[in-house]
Order: sequence, then structure tokens, then C-alpha cells
Amino acid sequence: SCSARWHRALSLNVLLQTLFQAYAKFSGAPLKVSVVDNTWRGSRGDVPILTTEDNIVSQPAKILNFLRKQKYNADYELSAKQGADTLAYIALLEEKLLPAVLHTFWVESDNYFTVTKPWFASRIPFPLSLILPGRMSKGALNRIILTRGEPPLYHLREVEAQIYRDAKECLNLLSNRLGTSQFFFGDSPSTLDAYVFGFLAPLYKVRFPKVQLQEHLKQLSNLCRFCDDILNSYFRLSVGDG
Amino acid sequence: MGYRTPPGALSPRAALPQAGARSGRDAGPRAPPTEPGARRRKCSPAAVRRAGSSWPAGGHLARLAAAPAPWCAAPGGPRRPELGLGAAGEHAEGRAERAPRACAQPPCLWWRKPSSRRSQAFLQMCNLPIKVVCRANAEYMSPSGKVPFIHVGNQVVSELGPIVQFVKAKGHSLSDGLDEVQKAEMKAYMELVNNMLLTAELYLQWCDEATVGEITHARYGSPYPWPLNHILAYQKQWEVKRKMKAIGWGNKTLDQVLEDVDQCCQALSQRLGTQPYFFNKQPTELDALVFGHLYTILTTQLTNDELSEKVKNYSNLLAFCRRIEQHYFEDRGKGSSSIRSS
Repeated sequence: SCSARWHRALSLNVLLQTLFQAYAKFSGAPLKVSVVDNTWRGSRGDVPILTTEDNIVSQPAKILNFLRKQKYNADYELSAKQGADTLAYIALLEEKLLPAVLHTFWVESDNYFTVTKPWFASRIPFPLSLILPGRMSKGALNRIILTRGEPPLYHLREVEAQIYRDAKECLNLLSNRLGTSQFFFGDSPSTLDAYVFGFLAPLYKVRFPKVQLQEHLKQLSNLCRFCDDILNSYFRLSVGDG
Repeated sequence: MGYRTPPGALSPRAALPQAGARSGRDAGPRAPPTEPGARRRKCSPAAVRRAGSSWPAGGHLARLAAAPAPWCAAPGGPRRPELGLGAAGEHAEGRAERAPRACAQPPCLWWRKPSSRRSQAFLQMCNLPIKVVCRANAEYMSPSGKVPFIHVGNQVVSELGPIVQFVKAKGHSLSDGLDEVQKAEMKAYMELVNNMLLTAELYLQWCDEATVGEITHARYGSPYPWPLNHILAYQKQWEVKRKMKAIGWGNKTLDQVLEDVDQCCQALSQRLGTQPYFFNKQPTELDALVFGHLYTILTTQLTNDELSEKVKNYSNLLAFCRRIEQHYFEDRGKGSSSIRSS
């Protein structure tokens, strides 16, 4: 069996950490999450990192591939077309939902200063706790501006309005796709379920002051039911980092 | 917010859009208008006319300002694909008022913009009459700074997404027959194509040193005099690299990018299967989008052919492109460099 250690994730990797934990649970990989105080090394932004006895793998797609090669595959039951659909929906999540989630966590000042920053700062050593959150916040804003801030959107407000509109539309599309089934492809969870859960669970559970995206999510009852089901079945002890 | 305005047309030979052709944006300093006796180069646009249209209301033909078709013989050598436009309301043909520049470089095959091809495909799939014209400063006339855009009556709409919505508002849509789940799937696949193929094309154009040195720099800087051509090309390259870094593609090697393209093509191929179009018998926006990208990849020659080889591995995708090209482009009486010959 493969035993691995996780380096505690930072920034957008709250989502990825939830994602990987979910994937690990779905596929049965024996993973142990441990806080390793290598924040200095991880601060280059390479987290999350999967470490096994032999190698170190970074980047989400590679980590998933690695797990699959080790025969922890949550997608055995999927057809080729469903595999293709998985890729497409993951692209949709990254393009449409991720900017708004990044904004909610890292750019919206009420949320950032009251929730995100204190939470991260409490988990990384001084003096990094003074530097890293600010850097992550700037990185998130940078990413949003560079990928979405193009003409005819000239003000940050317009960009923000657009990304939230896109995120709400994305949530609607996910809800339409899920319908009344328990998981996205049949009765057992797959990579796509892990991805969607990884994005939605923090959004669903973290208590933010500014909650417009959360409010929208709560109106989509099947997505909420989806998150609750997975939380109850696979993460029974606690909500974790959400 | 620090958005850069596009470089103004500093050369007096650049064409100047007249009032009425723009909606919205001011693009910065403009060149004085050319005199009536200035040399004019006739650009042979790929014009597509269809008789008997009732769209749009008022009977005006929509004009699609796009990159020039590859068969546009440029007497001055390599040209920047985004060309300019004369005044709105003037007859479109023969108004490229930019004098040809003598260029010592061998005629190189530039990167045809996939965006115009897919918008064109989409409009033709909707059976809407369009006329494609190419102009020197189409980018500056577009409200969002991007080509292609359509000019319909008094309105100017740019980029595929808004064009699709505009056409939908006029009552034409390709995806009406789809249910909610299928619409979600269609949007997801469109994002996949944008995410993978578009970014890979951008990477290949601007981050692969061989292509940049041989083709892109020369093409991008060709309308401008020295040293502006170098400065603007380097600036654009820096911008693209910055964006790549922000989305996590900064450290990717060419092989990794090609692998991503392969994965994307595999997904598209699996989704398409043996059907004629992605959603069974009728084409949708997704078909237009995929066609635009794949056609560009297959018909543009670069320093290496690996990108098109990746696509050619999937025979159903090749057949798909060929089918759309035949049905919507060749049958309408237009000559084109076909996929077969590339």
C-alpha cells in the first residue's frame, strides 16, 4: 500500500486539499494528512505536494495521475465519453467558478481580513505569517485581473461583477447537470465529484461576512444535498478545513 | 487599473476609422487621414453573399471584419492579419488605405486567426448572410479590441460569445433544441476548448522560442516602422508570458503543452464518436468553435508540425473538419486552402 504525507496546503489549495482528500476517500487510497512544517520550502507556491517513499509530485493533475497509476482510481466505471465530460467540466470549473471563489476568499476585503488571513496566519510560522497571506492575496488578484480583466471591462468593479455572474451561471449549470442523481456519473463518486466537492464545500461551509456566492449556492438545493451527502458519508468526524 | 491602451497608429499611412464605425472605446492617438490620392492596395476579401435573406431587419448585410483569408496575396510581403477598416457606410471593398510596405523577408505563412474562422462558421451555420472584409485596423474599431467583429446596421459586436448572444436576441440560435443538461455539457466543452486549445495556441505563438523568432515577431511588428516593431512585439510577448505564469503555464515545456493538446483532442474525439456533429445531427456553437481552432491548427504551417500531427491522430476530428469545410465553405463558392493539401 502506498502511504503518503501531505504538506499542508496554502491559498487556493484549500480547495485542492479538500479535493484530494475527497478523491482519496473515493478511491480508497490510504493517505495521511499531516502538517509538516516545511512552509519555507512550500512558500514558493508549489503546494500541494504529494510525497511518497520514492518521489515528490506537485501540481494537481499530476497528483491525480500518480494516484491513478498506483491503482487508486475513482474512474474505473466511467466510459470514454464520461471521461471526456470530466475534463470538460473541470475546465468549466476552473474558468468560470475559480475566479469568483478566489475573489471571495482572498480579494474581498471583509472576508480576507476577518476569516482567511487570521486562519492561515495561525497555521504558518512567524514571520511568514506576516508575509505570505498578503502575497497570496496579491497573487489571487493578479490572476483575476490578468485572465478576466480585459477590455471592455476597465474597472475592477466591472470585472468583479462579471466573474460573479459567470460563477452563478456555472453553479446553475452544475445544478442542471446533477439533477436528482446522487453523483455526477451514476451511483458512485468519481474524479469530477471530487473536483466539484473540492470547490463547493469550502464555499458552502465557511462563514463569510460577504456571502453573495454562498447565498446563490444555498438556493441550489441539489448541490447542497450533494455536499452534505459527501460530508456525512466520507468526512464523518469534522468539516475539516472548510 | 492600469490597462494598457493599444498602441496608437503612429504611421500616417495607417487607415483611420471615421466617426460612426466605433462604439465605445477611444483607442488613443490617431493618425491624420490619408489624402484621397494615397496609394490604395486592394485587398481581396473573402466575400460571401447569399441572396434572399431577411436578417437583419432593414435588409443590411452584416459585415464581418476579420483576418484576411490566407489567399489574400499581399504584394508587400507578410502583413499583420488584423487589418483596418474604412468608414462605416462606405462600400467595404477596396478601402484598405494602407500602403504596402516593402519587406525583405521571404513570404512567411502567418498564423491565421482562429477566432474569425469560428465566428464565420457559426454565422454560416445559422444560415445568415455575411460579407467578410479585411481591414488594417480592425482591432481598433472593435469595441473590445479584438477581432473579429460584426457590423450590423448601427451595431458593432465583437468576439464569438457576444456575437452568439446578439444573434440569439435576433431570434437565431443553434442550441434551441438542446435540453438543460446538454446545454451545460456544451458550455463545459466550449470552456475546455478555450482553456486548452486557445492557451496552447497562444503559448506556441509567444512562448516557444523557435516560433517567436521566426514567425511571430516579424508578423506582429510588420505594420510598424523600426524600432516600434521590435518594442511592440517584445511588449506583447512579455504580456503573454505574464498571463501564462498567472495561470500556471509559465513553467510548462513544449512537450507538456503538446500533451495537453493531445488530451483535449482525445476528449473531443471521444465525445464526437461517430456522430456527424457534437450534438447529433445539428451543428451548434461548439461545432463552430472546435472547427475554428482545429482548422487553424491543421492549415497553419509553423516551425514544427507537432501540433497538427497531434490533431491528425484523431481521424474523426479530421473528418469533422473536412465535412464542415465542405458543407459551409466550399459549397458556397469560395476557394480555400483545403485541409487535404496541408
